[in-house]
Amino acid sequence: MTPVERVTSGWRSAPIAIFGLALLILLAGVGVIIQNEWTYDHARVEQTQALSDILAATTAAAVDFDDPAAAQQAVDGFRMNKQVRRIAVYRRDGRVMAGYKRDGTPLRPTLATMRPPGANVIRVKSPIVQAGQRIGTVTLDIDREAPFRRLSRYFVLAGLFVLAALVVASIGLAQAQLRRANRELGSRAEALAQANVLLEEQMEERAKAEDQLRQSQKMQALGQLTGGIAHDFNNQLTVIQGSADILTRPELPDEKRIRFAQAIVQSATNAASLTSQLLAFARRQPLKPERIDLNDLIREMRDLLDRTMGERIRIVTDLYKLPCRVEADRAQLQSAILNIASNARDAMKDGGTLTIRTRDAGEGQDGKPLVALAIEDTGEGMSPEVLDRIFEPFFTTKRTGKGTGLGLSQVYGFATQSGGEVEVDSKPGEGSTITLVLPCIDADALAEAEAPEPEASDQPPARILVVEDNEDVGAFAETLLSELGHQVTRASSGEEALDIARRTEFDVVLSDVVMPGMGGLKLAEVLGREQPELPVVLATGYSQEIVESGSGGRPVILKPYRLATLSEALAGAMRR
Amino acid sequence: MRAAAAAALLVAAQPAFAQPTDTAVKAAFLPRFAKYVTWPPAAMPRAGDAFNLCVIGGDPFGTMLDGAARSQSIDGRPITVRRMGTAASIDSCQIAFVDGSRSGQIIAAIGRKPVLTVTDARSGGPRGIIHFVVDGGRVRFFIDQSSASQRGIAISSRLLALALGVRQ
Repeated sequence: MTPVERVTSGWRSAPIAIFGLALLILLAGVGVIIQNEWTYDHARVEQTQALSDILAATTAAAVDFDDPAAAQQAVDGFRMNKQVRRIAVYRRDGRVMAGYKRDGTPLRPTLATMRPPGANVIRVKSPIVQAGQRIGTVTLDIDREAPFRRLSRYFVLAGLFVLAALVVASIGLAQAQLRRANRELGSRAEALAQANVLLEEQMEERAKAEDQLRQSQKMQALGQLTGGIAHDFNNQLTVIQGSADILTRPELPDEKRIRFAQAIVQSATNAASLTSQLLAFARRQPLKPERIDLNDLIREMRDLLDRTMGERIRIVTDLYKLPCRVEADRAQLQSAILNIASNARDAMKDGGTLTIRTRDAGEGQDGKPLVALAIEDTGEGMSPEVLDRIFEPFFTTKRTGKGTGLGLSQVYGFATQSGGEVEVDSKPGEGSTITLVLPCIDADALAEAEAPEPEASDQPPARILVVEDNEDVGAFAETLLSELGHQVTRASSGEEALDIARRTEFDVVLSDVVMPGMGGLKLAEVLGREQPELPVVLATGYSQEIVESGSGGRPVILKPYRLATLSEALAGAMRR
Repeated sequence: MRAAAAAALLVAAQPAFAQPTDTAVKAAFLPRFAKYVTWPPAAMPRAGDAFNLCVIGGDPFGTMLDGAARSQSIDGRPITVRRMGTAASIDSCQIAFVDGSRSGQIIAAIGRKPVLTVTDARSGGPRGIIHFVVDGGRVRFFIDQSSASQRGIAISSRLLALALGVRQ
């Protein structure tokens, strides 16, 4: 039994109870009326008797002295009372002496011949007594009650009955409706519960389907990514491997050896640039922010752009006087501009115009002023489907081998990492506009960071501790540094390095950042406390730690590093 | 009508008189006055004694009055009719019917004693507290309430209501 049913079953016995109650009320009403009637009648008789007694007393003297006029006078005083039907004053011997009838008919001559009263008449008699002697009789007829009064009493009765009936009817009706509503509510609640269960099942299924979709999309993206990386890296590795094979041949002329060595260097540079762009997209590339005037940068790049774009494309610059400079990594910004420009070139196969504009872009959400750099082409434009995907890594519309699919990914990664954003506006056949929006920096927020680079010079031999968990990279670094005439000691972990450094004196420490156990940053921190004079140079492919919290002011070199970069960083560290 | 009324009035007391006269009516009235009058306590007869209705001077009633008096009683006391020539023993009387040629002297002799004096216009003498007249063929009476109250006598309003006139 549900709660709803319990409630309604409780209500089922209600009509009987209500009917019983109404009957009780009705009976009580009738009882009260009867009692009232009786009391009223009784009171009426008493009242009339009193009237009659008064009349008897007042007419006593008149009867005593046989003065009908005086008696009639006393009787006439009652004519005011309209309920009095008949009054008669009789002498001791029963003969009438005074009186009247309301209807004007004459009185019967004696008490004995008096007609009996009607049904609605109260008749009372009072003896006329004087000094203990009965000297006559008064009779008085009065209406039992006015007809309209009786009628009104019936109305009251009928009203009561109707009221009781109405109460019973309305309560019964309301109760029936309530029961019906309850039933309906119950069935609706059940239907709702069923619908809810169904909905929940559907939602669960949908969530599952979405999860699967997401997973498959992720796998697709991953496949695309790894495929792209593999493809591009294989190209470079092919060159490196082939060149290295040739270099191992004996009796190779010096001129050829140099050419193949240069090919290896070039391929390695390309591969490094590939990983750098990849990391920039992943926003894991440590940026080296500088204060840059966008207009100056574009003017500087003009020559480069002209060469990149070729003869069939006209380059127009529309440079607005910007209110401020931006803070960005110069190399990354240049790379972004070149990436956009080369996409534009590829979109304008039959030539066209590349317009580079700068403008004020209002204020960002944090109130900082923004500047915009827009690069507009008159090329073939992009469809909405392409627009949706242009920032995906390795997404490309170019033929295989023509593009890496990383260009706009780099642009996107750079812009967001610099606190700005990229806007793309393009329609098929109407060209494309790609706009970089970058935040301004406060005029004096950053000191001029463009300190002149010290001249690289021949280094005096130094004692260097190389900390590197990767055996190959460690051996490579040792070879390089030894070649430069330095005295190199190697450690394969942070802990080992600390141990060695405590026993032996060094001029500089070169440490990898990411290592199992004690990392480079931790090592640098401990060494900084123990030997504040000992400089530490950090080397990393990428490090989430450095991106997030910085290197604590220590120089950082990025892998893959070149001989010159390494030598300069070490020399710079030792000069401080 | 008058004859019928008088006959009815006297039927119990005087069944012998078929034709009641004014005198008979007056005789019937006299003892009845006592029921509507209150005397000062000192003027009332002692407990158990009869109520005295005195006829002083002339007596026009004879046995008619005795009959009427017998049929009445005052608070259980019988009424005794006493006849006297002068007002000498007036102190024993509660009601005094004064008539005859010396009525003036008798009234004067009664003076301010608490006695309900009754006179008749027919004799032409002075007026007592109640004074019979015949008006329209009916025996009626005047009441001198002022004179009554001077003597400490109170007269019921019901009796006053029957009077032809009341002197306040």
